[in-house]
Amino acid sequence: MSEEPTGVWVYLQHTRSKLTGDSLELLAAGRAVAEKLGQEVTGVLLGSGLSDLANTAVLHGADLVLLVDSPALEPYFNLAYVDAIYGLVRERRPYVFLFAANEVGKDIAARVAFKVPTGLATDNVQLAVEDYNNPALGQFKNLLIQVRPDFGTRLARIYTPRHRPQMATVRPGSFSPLPEDTTRMGKIEKVGFQPPAYPARVTEVVELPPPVPDLAGADVVISLGLGVLKDGSGKPRDPREAYQYAMELKGVLEQKHKLKTEIGASRALIYAEVKALEGVIGRSNQVGQTGTTVKPKVYIAVGISGALQHRVGMQNSSKIVAINLDPEAPILKFAHYPIVGDLYEELPKLTKALGGGGVA
Amino acid sequence: MLVVVLLKGVPARTTQAVTVGGVLNREAMDLVLNPHDAKAVEAADYLKRRVGGKAVALSMGPDMKLVPLMKPLFDAEVLGIDEEYVLSDRKMAGSDTLATSYAVALGVKKLVERHMAPIEEVAKAIRTTGYSDSVRAKAAELYSANLLPNRVYTELPSIRDSIVHRFLDGRITTETALAELAAEKERVSKFVVVAGIKTTDGETGSVGPQVAEGVSELLGRVLPHATYVEDFEVDPEASTMVSERKIGYLSQKLEMQLPALLTISTEYRPRSAPAATQDQVRANSYRGKVFQAFKWTADDLGADSKRLGLVGSPTIVGAGVDVGKPPVQKAVGSTLVFLKATDPFDFEGKKFGPFAQGDLTTGLPEGAVSTLKSGGAVGAFGYEMLAEELLA
Repeated sequence: MSEEPTGVWVYLQHTRSKLTGDSLELLAAGRAVAEKLGQEVTGVLLGSGLSDLANTAVLHGADLVLLVDSPALEPYFNLAYVDAIYGLVRERRPYVFLFAANEVGKDIAARVAFKVPTGLATDNVQLAVEDYNNPALGQFKNLLIQVRPDFGTRLARIYTPRHRPQMATVRPGSFSPLPEDTTRMGKIEKVGFQPPAYPARVTEVVELPPPVPDLAGADVVISLGLGVLKDGSGKPRDPREAYQYAMELKGVLEQKHKLKTEIGASRALIYAEVKALEGVIGRSNQVGQTGTTVKPKVYIAVGISGALQHRVGMQNSSKIVAINLDPEAPILKFAHYPIVGDLYEELPKLTKALGGGGVA
Repeated sequence: MLVVVLLKGVPARTTQAVTVGGVLNREAMDLVLNPHDAKAVEAADYLKRRVGGKAVALSMGPDMKLVPLMKPLFDAEVLGIDEEYVLSDRKMAGSDTLATSYAVALGVKKLVERHMAPIEEVAKAIRTTGYSDSVRAKAAELYSANLLPNRVYTELPSIRDSIVHRFLDGRITTETALAELAAEKERVSKFVVVAGIKTTDGETGSVGPQVAEGVSELLGRVLPHATYVEDFEVDPEASTMVSERKIGYLSQKLEMQLPALLTISTEYRPRSAPAATQDQVRANSYRGKVFQAFKWTADDLGADSKRLGLVGSPTIVGAGVDVGKPPVQKAVGSTLVFLKATDPFDFEGKKFGPFAQGDLTTGLPEGAVSTLKSGGAVGAFGYEMLAEELLA
C-alpha cells in the first residue's frame, strides 16, 4: 500500500459486440488526462468473450485493458459490475477513474465511489490537470480538474484533492474519439471474477431500436425553443407552424444536400408540455444537459435563449446558427451566425437560401 | 410496507442560486420540491394502494424551509406522504453526494428501526405480562403514535382480528402471537426506498445508488437498486419486486428481493392496483397521517461526524470556469463582410488584403470600408452567404 495511486482508468461499455461511442470518447478523454500526468490509460472491460473489443480499445488509446471475463457479467447487472470494479480499484489503486455519464456509467460509478470511498463529479464537459492550492487543505500537484455545469448558471471546477481515485463521469459528446491507430500496442490482461449470491437478478433483456430521433448521429440539428410560441409582434402563434418550417428546412437539407437532419428542442419547450406539439416533439428531442448532447456540423437554434443547461449540450457543434427575437439572448453571444429577428420570418429565408421552395 | 420517499428542496430559480464558496445556501433562497421527486411520490402511492403500509418522506436540509414544502404532500386524504422526517443539522451543511448519501442512509436505517421497535415492544409486553391490560395499553399507545400496522393492533371497528385482539381474546397462544409479531417485523425489514432520478440543482443522479450502498453498509446486507425505473410490480407477499428500466439501447427487467431502492423515471406511470387485495392493504396500513414533522440531528442519527458536511465530502467546488471565448461572429443582416474576393489595395498609404469572400472587415479603416461598400465589394452578411458557409 506504500505506492502512490497511479493510472487513468476508463470504464468501457459495449453493445451489440461493439464498444459504444461513449467508450471511445472516454478513451480519448483518458488519453488527454494521462498524457498530462505522464501516466498510462487502462480500459476496464467487463463481460463475456470480449477479446476483440479489448483490442479495439488498444487501437483507440488504451495502454492496458483489464478484461474481466465471466459469464456472471452477461447481461449487464449492476451489483456484479460494482463488485468486480470495486475489487480492481481496491487492489490496483488508480489515480483517476472515468465513466460515461449515461445510465450504466452512473449506476456503477456512484456505488463504487461510496465503497472506496471517494468523490464523484458527474456530467463533466471538460477535464484538465492543474496544481491546486487550498488554504485549509494544502497544496496538491497535478490534480484532475473536473468541469461540470453548476446549478444551471455556470461551469464549476470540481476537485477531489484528498481521495483516490478521482472519479468522474463525462458527458457523452464532450470529447471526440481518437482515430483507430492500427500500429498502437497495448497489453490485455484477463481477470477472473467470482460473484457472490445477490438479492437481485436480471430476468429479461430486450434490445431496443436505436433512438428516434438520432440527435447524436445527425449532421444538422434544428432545435426549437419556447420562442416558437409567439412571433415578432408578440402575438401568440401556433407552434406547429414553426415545426412545419423546421421540417421544410430538414427536407431541403436531406434531399438537396444529403445532410442527415433531426429536430431537437430545448428543455423549456419540453417542460412547457405544449399541447399543440404533443406527439410531434417530446423528451427524445431534448438537447442539453438533461437531454442529448450533440455536436453536429450545423446546429440551428430557433427561439432558444441558450441557458447554460442548453449550451453544454450543443456548444461543440461546428457551426451554430441562432435565430432569436431578443438581442440580449445568451445564445446570440456564442452563436457563429446570430440572427436577431422573428423566427417566423427568418427561418423560411434560411430555407430558401439553402435551395428550398421559398415559403416566405 | 414501509416506503421511504427521498425528497429534496431545490432552488426555485437556479439562475438566482445563492452560493457560498460553491455550496448552495439553502436558507437564503426560495426552495421548491425537486420536480423529479413527484414521480417518487407517485410510486409510493402505488405501493400503498397495492400493498398497504406507510409512506414517509425523508429529506435533508434546513427544516424551517423544508417542512412547508412538504405540506401539500399531506393534503390528499389517502395518498401522498403520511409522515415526514427532516435531517437537519449544521454539521450536514455543505455535504456532497457522498456525505449526503451517508446521512440519508442513516436516516433510512433509523426509520426501519423506528418501525421495528414498537412491534418488539408489543412482543415484550406479551412475554412479560401475558394476557393483561398492559399489553392492550402498550399497543394502543403505539398505535395512536402511528407506529403499529392494523394487523398488529387497531382501533378500526372493521378489523376485529389484529394480533393483539386475538391474543387478548384467547384466540391464539402466546407462541402464535410472538411468531406473528416476528413475521410482522420481517415485513418492516422489507422496506422500499424511492427517489427521483436526480435533482434539478445538482443534477448528479448519484444519491439514489449511493444511498443503496450506504444502507447496505449500515445494515450489513446488500440492498439492490434500480435507476430510471419506468415500471415496477411487487409480488403478493411484498417480498420481491420486478423493475423495468431502459439502460442505453437495452430495456432490462431486474428482480430484486426487498429491501430495495428505486429511482423513478419521468416516464413512470403508476399501474392500477388490483381491488382484490384491499383486506391486505388495510391490514398493512397504519392509523393515518402525522402532520408534525420529525427533525433528526447528526446525534440522533448516531452519525460519524467525520463523514458529514464539508469534512466528509471528498469533492470541493472551486472557481467557475470561463465558458469559452465568443467565436468570430457573422450576424445575418448586420455584420459587414466582403461580398466577393478582393485584390490587395492601398488606402491612405497602407496596404490591405487580399480578402476572400466572406472575410470580415475588422481592422480596416472606416473610410476604406465605406469606399468598398459603395463599390459593392463589402456589404452586410446575408442568407446566401450563410447558406454557402453552412454547406462548406
